[in-house]
Amino acid sequence: MNLNIKLIKRELDPLTVTQLIIVGLILGAFLVLPVSFMILRAFFHKGSLSLYYFESLVAGGDFIKTKPETSWIELVRTPQGEILIIGRKGPDFGIFLNTLFVSTMVMIFATTLGVLAAFIMARYEFPGKNFFKVILLIPMLATPFVNAFVLGKVLAVNGLVNYLLYETLKILPFKIWVTGLPALILIQTLSLYPIVYLNAYSSFINIDPSLEEQAENLGAKGLKLFLTITLPLALPGISAGAALVFIFSMEDLGAPIGLSGAFGSGLHEKILSFRIYDEFRKGIGSIEQVHASTYAMAVVMLIIALAIFLLIKKYVTLKSYAMLSKGGRWKPRVRRLGVKGLVPIYVFLIILALSASFPQFGVVVLAFTDWAMSKLPSKVTLEHISALLVNREVFRAILNSLIYSSVATLIMLLVGTSAAYVVARRKIPGRDLIDALSTLPIAIPGIIVAVGYLLFFATYFSQTPLDPFFNPGLLLIFSYSVRRLPFTARTVFAGFQQVHESLEEAALNLGADRAKVFFTIALPLIISNVISGGILSFVYSMNEVSTSITLSNLNPNQGPITFYMSQVIYASAAVGTVSVAAALGVLLIVAQILAISVSNYILKQRVAFLGV
Amino acid sequence: MVVVRLKNVSKRFGKVVAVDDVTLEIKEGEFFTFLGPSGCGKTTTLRIIAGLEYPDKGRIFFDDEDVTDVPPYKRNTGMVFQNYALWPHMTVFENISYGLKIRGYSKHEIKKKVDEVLELVQLKGLENRYPTQLSGGQQQRVALARALVIEPKVLLLDEPLSNLDARLRVEMREELKRLQKELKITTIYVTHDQEEALVISDRIAVMRQGRIMQVGEPDEVYRRPKNLFVATFLGRCSLIEGKVVDVDKDLVTIAIDHIRIKGVLPDKDMKLRKGEEAYAVLKPEDFALRIDDPSKANEFTGTVEWLFFVGPFNQIRLGLGRISILVNVEPWFTPSLKSKVTVYIPYEYVIILPKKEQEVCQET
Ligand SMILES: Nc1ncnc2c1ncn2[C@@H]1O[C@H](COP(=O)(O)OP(=O)(O)O)[C@@H](O)[C@H]1O
Ligand SMILES: [Mg+2]
Repeated sequence: MNLNIKLIKRELDPLTVTQLIIVGLILGAFLVLPVSFMILRAFFHKGSLSLYYFESLVAGGDFIKTKPETSWIELVRTPQGEILIIGRKGPDFGIFLNTLFVSTMVMIFATTLGVLAAFIMARYEFPGKNFFKVILLIPMLATPFVNAFVLGKVLAVNGLVNYLLYETLKILPFKIWVTGLPALILIQTLSLYPIVYLNAYSSFINIDPSLEEQAENLGAKGLKLFLTITLPLALPGISAGAALVFIFSMEDLGAPIGLSGAFGSGLHEKILSFRIYDEFRKGIGSIEQVHASTYAMAVVMLIIALAIFLLIKKYVTLKSYAMLSKGGRWKPRVRRLGVKGLVPIYVFLIILALSASFPQFGVVVLAFTDWAMSKLPSKVTLEHISALLVNREVFRAILNSLIYSSVATLIMLLVGTSAAYVVARRKIPGRDLIDALSTLPIAIPGIIVAVGYLLFFATYFSQTPLDPFFNPGLLLIFSYSVRRLPFTARTVFAGFQQVHESLEEAALNLGADRAKVFFTIALPLIISNVISGGILSFVYSMNEVSTSITLSNLNPNQGPITFYMSQVIYASAAVGTVSVAAALGVLLIVAQILAISVSNYILKQRVAFLGV
Repeated sequence: MVVVRLKNVSKRFGKVVAVDDVTLEIKEGEFFTFLGPSGCGKTTTLRIIAGLEYPDKGRIFFDDEDVTDVPPYKRNTGMVFQNYALWPHMTVFENISYGLKIRGYSKHEIKKKVDEVLELVQLKGLENRYPTQLSGGQQQRVALARALVIEPKVLLLDEPLSNLDARLRVEMREELKRLQKELKITTIYVTHDQEEALVISDRIAVMRQGRIMQVGEPDEVYRRPKNLFVATFLGRCSLIEGKVVDVDKDLVTIAIDHIRIKGVLPDKDMKLRKGEEAYAVLKPEDFALRIDDPSKANEFTGTVEWLFFVGPFNQIRLGLGRISILVNVEPWFTPSLKSKVTVYIPYEYVIILPKKEQEVCQET
């Protein structure tokens, strides 16, 4: 015992203490406290602990439908012809089950697509492979709301698909309209499958070829080899990807809002994330107007997300995420294909690439043409792009985003580097807690952070700069810092892990105290990780949706890009046109491409990154 | 230059006892070596002296100062790491001058001192290179220069030669020895290479599983191993197990079947009585084919079971009934297999060790 105290005293040098304070302060005040406060609120009814709000949720009948609607296809006769409508009346199992249904389906579809694509890309050689390598990742370029809007444009009754296949080519006997939960599942699958794809890909190429060769040597081949050796070896990576897809699907607000913009209200709004958001949007003005059962909803969502996160973390440490994967240490097994093999591969890849990347292309088309106003784009124009600079509101949103993201990035670097260093180098109790806390934000749905902030800061920091009704911008900075922290922390941590500890010990030995060692040895050695993590965090802050749109409602002047986009696409406010939102989407796409290229260049390694 | 003292130092990592109750005094200006198989706790001991590891028990003194709780950056030791630990983001000059900058020397003094030490380790002209642009031997010298330039109280070297190829290793160990004598700096050296330890050290501590098995000058630990571990770790030897049949002052005779082996106990405090079990340690190089005074030597006649050509000498496995011994003979002597050969080994070269609580070195 005596010994332990001595050990802790030795480990707690001024640098470590400072780092611990930084990490504790930011994560405590802007993650742990607000979220815990919200959880408590959900369990308190009339001053005592109770499950009242949870019971009233269930009793309401809309949370879990006693009579679920399962018919999901209907053929409707209209003056313009027959329409096959998918997802308008059903499926609808109630908000809670809808959420689980959507996330589960997205996870299954995204995993299937991702693993298949990854296997093809990792194990086969074919002409055009590099082209597909790039194109398969396009869906990772987030264009919140607008991508769902594009889907609407394409799949609506008067959309592109019907125009092409029904009106022009007359292949279809009826028009098709996909909406509701199926539309949600479709758009989320397309934008989230790259997470599984990337993880599966790096798992496949990191499998020591001799392991498979040994199995072949013993007589296994084809599907048997895949199912008994390859898949089990890649399973940790794949399942972690699948779990992230589930969580990201559940917390996503971009798709439901975008679909509402395209189709108006519908079943795509009957999911937890949207409901919580909507309650707060309506409750503008005072936090008391928000019914406490909303907090109960948030708690339910948080529990699901955390359960999945902890389960998967137990199975595979999420440490390998947002981390560097050193592609091909050995020469991976790659096979050339004959024509018979090439055809199905091309068909699969082309369909996947086309359907997954059309939202991004659609956003570009929306931004540069008059497509938003017409059935088909008829003229090219730069007017929407120029609105980014000319339109005062748009420009202000861009400026807000830039400021928030820059400051947040600085905070993230400070907190992320501190946390990573303590976790990597100090042997103190509580180290695992810091490790967990700096990864945890991945698993906490953004809307829950937003709700926690609203409740906590409106209650305890009213009339201060941290009052969300007065100054949501400042809170957004902290929300970005916390929500995107895992990117920085993990990238930096990976850096520290690659630095041999003896390099730091050599400096200690020569008389440098720990602070000096940190600043002259450790940090310079991993500076490329810091920069790269910073750039990625910056861009992902610009993309942040959930807290941006929820908190900015309280003071639209302080809204960032994503808030402006959500307003244009969804809210009634006639502040601008969809085309301008698309132009903002293009801006985000460009920023992401730049960031990823620069950070890949700096690290000279492929960075497996997480979208959303 | 200081005296380094370890008093009952112990350190465990979980279940592994890395250092087990080590008590030692390393003299001023001495070249002291920890020798032992890998994993025996040499590095940990060195790191405890440097302050990079803290002992669970025991104290460390530099002269009379108790430095047990002094952090590494205040101990003023100069350590050369096994992997050199050169900073890849700094040039040779920046690497070497790091410790001087920390100590607040002026630019001018730094330049002068770095120049001097570069001269010493024969690295002039490489100041602006980065570590990755240097050969293994050069990197090793930079690491040494970086440790020496701060004029440390103690120089700590953790297998500094193990990453070099065989020839360079021999050259560098002589150079190290020369430098150390020139600078008269207390030096603590770690190696698993017994030849290196014998050549370079003033004194050697042989370690095993965290414990010190024997401390002494090279010829002492080599000639007078106090236990089977030390005997078997330092060079090859034949071990013959038998019963004590005669004790005559310093000379002990053991017998196995009809064979009698006479030898000495390595330590005055050691006692053996008639009837006890004991080992005789016979080093192959101590045998001779002829001897001036056969009355002071064991004489063995046996059949040649095998002959090895080693180069500088030939090695014979000589069968003596149930047992056999290894004998080195002159390179011109090449008896045919199965032929009879007689060899001699002086009594004083044969070490007799009590059998109780002895363990043989499994490694190497
Ligand atoms: N940081 C550590 N954590 C756990 N075990 C360690 C650590 N350092 C050393 N050990 C263990 O302590 C023992 C002694 O190690 P070491 O001092 O490095 O031996 P040597 O340098 O003689 O090869 C070994 O069993 C080693 O595995
Ligand atoms: Mg060692």
